Amino acid sequence: MARANADVEITLSKNFELENNYRWSEAAHSTIALRARRVAAGMSRLAQSDRVTLVGLDFGSTTSSLLAITARIANNCATGRMAFCDARTLHRPAPVFTPFRDDAIDLTDLRVRVTDWLLEAGIGREDIFAGGAIVTGLAAERGNAHAIAGLVADVLGESVVATADDPRLESWLAFMGAAGALSRAHPGTPVLNLDIGGGTTNPAFGIAGNVRSTGCYFIGARHVEFEPGSYRVTRLSRYGAAVLDRLGIDAGPGQDLASRDRSRLLAYYVDALAAIVAGSQAPFAHATGRLIAQAPFAAPDGTPLLTFSGGVGEMIYAIAAGEPAPDTTHYGDLGIDLALAILGDERLARDVHRHVPEHRGRATVQGLTLNNTEVSGTTLFLNGDDALPLRDLPVVASVPARSEAAALADALMLAGRSQRGACLQLSWNGSHPSFEDVKRLGGAVSDALARAEMPGDASLVILTDANVGKALGNYATAWRSTGLRLIVIDEIPERNALFVNLGRMRNGVVPVSFYGMN
Amino acid sequence: MTSAMTVLQPVSEIYVPDAKPDETYETRLFDRTFRFKGLKALLGAADFDKAGDRLAGLAAADETAREAARKILSQLTLRHLYDRPLTDDSGAIDQVMRVNYAIDRQAFAAFSHFTLGDAKDYILRSKPADLKRFGAALTGPMAAALAKLMDVHELIFAAKKLKRWATARTTVGQPGTLSSRLQPNHPTDDLSAVTLLVYTGLSLGGGDALFGLNPAIDTVDNISAILHHLDKLRQQTGAPTQVCVLSHIKTQLACLEKGAPVEIMFQSLAGTDRTLVEEFDCTVPLLDRAYLTMAEKGPLAGQSAQVMYFETGQGSELTYGKHNGMDMTTTEALCYGLARRYDPFMVNNVTGFIGPETHRTNFEMIISNLQDHFMGKLLGIPMGMAPCYTLHSEITMEGQQMATELLTAAGANYFMDVYLSVDRMLAYFDTCSHDDQTLREIYGLEPAPEYTRWAIEKGIFARDEDGTLTRGANWGNPRIFCGSDLEFQRLRDSLPAAYGWDNAGPRPSNAVSRDIKANLAAAREAIYAEIATEKLGTFEFRHVATRAHSKAEHLNNPDIGARIGEAERKQLAPETADVQIVISDGLSAEAVHHNIPELLPVLMDGLRQQQISVGRPIVAPYGRVKLAEDIGEALRPKLVINLIGERPGGDAMASRSMSAYLAYRLGDEDVCAAARSFSGHDDIKYEYTVISNIYRQGMPPVEAGSLIAERAKQILHNRAAGNRLERVLSEGS
Repeated sequence: MARANADVEITLSKNFELENNYRWSEAAHSTIALRARRVAAGMSRLAQSDRVTLVGLDFGSTTSSLLAITARIANNCATGRMAFCDARTLHRPAPVFTPFRDDAIDLTDLRVRVTDWLLEAGIGREDIFAGGAIVTGLAAERGNAHAIAGLVADVLGESVVATADDPRLESWLAFMGAAGALSRAHPGTPVLNLDIGGGTTNPAFGIAGNVRSTGCYFIGARHVEFEPGSYRVTRLSRYGAAVLDRLGIDAGPGQDLASRDRSRLLAYYVDALAAIVAGSQAPFAHATGRLIAQAPFAAPDGTPLLTFSGGVGEMIYAIAAGEPAPDTTHYGDLGIDLALAILGDERLARDVHRHVPEHRGRATVQGLTLNNTEVSGTTLFLNGDDALPLRDLPVVASVPARSEAAALADALMLAGRSQRGACLQLSWNGSHPSFEDVKRLGGAVSDALARAEMPGDASLVILTDANVGKALGNYATAWRSTGLRLIVIDEIPERNALFVNLGRMRNGVVPVSFYGMN
Repeated sequence: MTSAMTVLQPVSEIYVPDAKPDETYETRLFDRTFRFKGLKALLGAADFDKAGDRLAGLAAADETAREAARKILSQLTLRHLYDRPLTDDSGAIDQVMRVNYAIDRQAFAAFSHFTLGDAKDYILRSKPADLKRFGAALTGPMAAALAKLMDVHELIFAAKKLKRWATARTTVGQPGTLSSRLQPNHPTDDLSAVTLLVYTGLSLGGGDALFGLNPAIDTVDNISAILHHLDKLRQQTGAPTQVCVLSHIKTQLACLEKGAPVEIMFQSLAGTDRTLVEEFDCTVPLLDRAYLTMAEKGPLAGQSAQVMYFETGQGSELTYGKHNGMDMTTTEALCYGLARRYDPFMVNNVTGFIGPETHRTNFEMIISNLQDHFMGKLLGIPMGMAPCYTLHSEITMEGQQMATELLTAAGANYFMDVYLSVDRMLAYFDTCSHDDQTLREIYGLEPAPEYTRWAIEKGIFARDEDGTLTRGANWGNPRIFCGSDLEFQRLRDSLPAAYGWDNAGPRPSNAVSRDIKANLAAAREAIYAEIATEKLGTFEFRHVATRAHSKAEHLNNPDIGARIGEAERKQLAPETADVQIVISDGLSAEAVHHNIPELLPVLMDGLRQQQISVGRPIVAPYGRVKLAEDIGEALRPKLVINLIGERPGGDAMASRSMSAYLAYRLGDEDVCAAARSFSGHDDIKYEYTVISNIYRQGMPPVEAGSLIAERAKQILHNRAAGNRLERVLSEGS
């Protein structure tokens, strides 16, 4: 039977092109189209069969970790967009304590550690397709946190976006890394993830895998540090000191934190967490509250499914699963006690036994590695072969694609002020752009771009969520006849971010990484 | 118990009588005289009325002529057929025919004097043991001739006596059993989706005959990866079965060399060398090599001698125009005569797969399936059946279900297990696990014994007090194979088009069935919809008719839609435009209606902006892809862009999928020479670039219009299309 040459219907949600100059079979030519599509699918698969390497680095208050994975770029059946799929861990070393020296991050030590990790993974700078590095929690408070960006650029290369003090991004990443799959699997159930680490608690609320709101609070395990095995205080963060002061607890370095005071401190934190979940602003209304509320969180109405991630989150699920709690202050901080306190509070522990999220302890780095980079569609509008990569482009505006021309012109005037180019996000909000929509928008972009007077060789990059990149670019440039420096990257969901990196094209797609969500 | 591998008799040593000139067979019936020139014509006229034989001019003109042919056939002896091997178009006896003559000659000597009428009566009167010897005496054409003399009851009754089973890791086909081949196909070979489909099939009691996947891409790396994955699933679940990836035999041999678990070696067979060699890229020596390699190096070597798996189905030779003047039933029987050489574990018959040019109606498909099952069993083959259909035929799900009921009554070894009957990878419709379980419960059958024991342990089945096998608590619950609910949900994410897992008894729940049927209805409607110019936007079109005068003609005869009607041709003269756009319904007018109003304005804008002249667009109802070439020859543009609806698959949205075929006319001699050199085809006249999957959920029409315009510019600028264009572009960059 002719299955080897069979008619094939390909229901992939992407475009495929192919050539088909084999000799047509006269009698079977009804099957030509379908065979062609089969070959197309095959070619597409072949083109996408080589895997890409993604790297994430999380420099946290307590520990630093790396995750290196390989993934295939292919159609996501669920979303219809190109995405990383079939991810396989390449290297996942045990986290190390983030090295500090004299209240600063020890960059030398960190450089050695990151270099060693890459060597262990067998990854060279040139192998990295995309990735991210983030400095989080109390580490981001250190004076030289931003210097890590330079370190990352040196060691990992230009494909990796680096950011520090980006707490809402951290919340977003933790949600995607920990609860993203759970949220997609239960699209009708709102999910609130609390990523509790050494320095911060990063709440993020999402539905069906899409984060709706984020926040950040200086609530974590490491604001009060102890000698391991005891409750003798060795160090207080300024946030820890402020809370103790607010509670009237006198416990500085060298002193023991009494049992009653521990309970009060833990109760304060637990009540604050419960308030975050419930949407109450009361605990953050006073000076101490305002201090620890780095990025206030707008909680959703109703009762979302509550999940935890981060180091404390991991401990919560381990203890809930029956594993013995580590010895007293084993890690030299309040993490174990905080985990136990959360487990003892029904406002917070209500869903601990119902659903267990993934990658609990390493949610941020997981999200950073796999979720922070979007993959473009395959029909893009590029301005020459050397148009990419582009780094650190400011996202000057995010406007509805069906905006009035004036709104578009205003956005492009902003773009014109950026010497190194700028990025504009145009969202169709899930609707399908019509021919008239695209033609009109192309004309509006063309007019606005002509007036914006983009400087020198700076490009305007349009990111749009619909699959219209080539058509929009062509209408905006009259099929490349106007000389406007325009790049249109399509099928990129709108993100609330200040900066974007566009990597080199590979297999017809472009990696797009965001950072700066404050 | 391990049986010995068959010693392959060298093909050159198989005795075949010399071919003889065609003779005229004549009879009178009810005052009418009927003459048939040659055995092929007689065999063709004696068969039930089927679309493929009508297309080939072999079907009887009417029912009386058919009975006249049967009357003559009934009076011919087996010896008469033996002495007249059917030849190819050059008068030679091909290898497939030669292999068919590898019969039990002692047995043949005992039966050679039987007329076909006698032989039919002998089959109906005899006991199973006697029939085994009788079948070994027959060639394929003899079995085909017998099938044409039988009615439905006889085909079922005879086949029921001809139980044939085979053993690899499990034994398939024993009395009291009905097995299934799990077919976890996915359009991109997504292994997560494959995993979920395997888990689902197993949970429904399927897959005891085989995990057999049709791959999207036939490369050694991909096939090896899938084989290893299926083998891993087999071992993880503990399901007693075997695995196979239905790639080309050469690919599988390469995979085996690399250590991949090619437990069962697959190949599609054909009843003529021309089809087998030219279309399937396979020969008898290659099959021999595969068989011997499996005996030596296959994972089941030493454990089982039955390790080959073949697929066949009426009409493949016809659809390629390489049937050597033989009817579909005869060429199908020749496949079984070829398969017999390799003592296969499975032969799967997929009659109905091709489309209306071979089997147009439920009856045609059902009767062919019953014939195939009977012929295969008679020739000693362990037959599994896959009565199936495509949406551009008139065959329905209900017709297919009737076929399965009859085939189960006839004792088919196994059916397919395609998730809820819709194969999105191959765009056809087959049996599903629910069908298999329903049939088992109606007819009191069980899966293979080893598998049944395993399934009882898993709670998929249970035995009640009187020993009857019933559905267990875990029947239909694929989560039993997942470590966590999240793992199941992850797998579920990989298969968004899945209809669901709700069941009612052995059937899918009504809600699930309604979804399936609604999608089928929408997709089928797209095929039968007529192209309507008013739904194509506001352009001024010109209309060109093809030689198909109706939708039925168009669907049932693929050739005529590729040609301009005679009257139209006279009105078309060469023009000077660079590009001519043709819009045709192909197999889905709905696809054209949904895409053209958005695509064409962009395409026209793009061509004009790039200074490419365009002829007035043509609407050509009932058109095929190759119509581009006929229009190209009439109007002489440099490039014809044929925008055409694709064959709908299993969901409503996919019926809106359209393709653009950019047919570059190789007008200049230097371009022609370059194309000849590149392609290796001396008669190449067009090069094609194809952009497919154009619809809102795939490549949206607006974006597709822009892409086509860019491609047109590249083709005209570089004077090349297809792979040659890609090479030119890559060299340029």
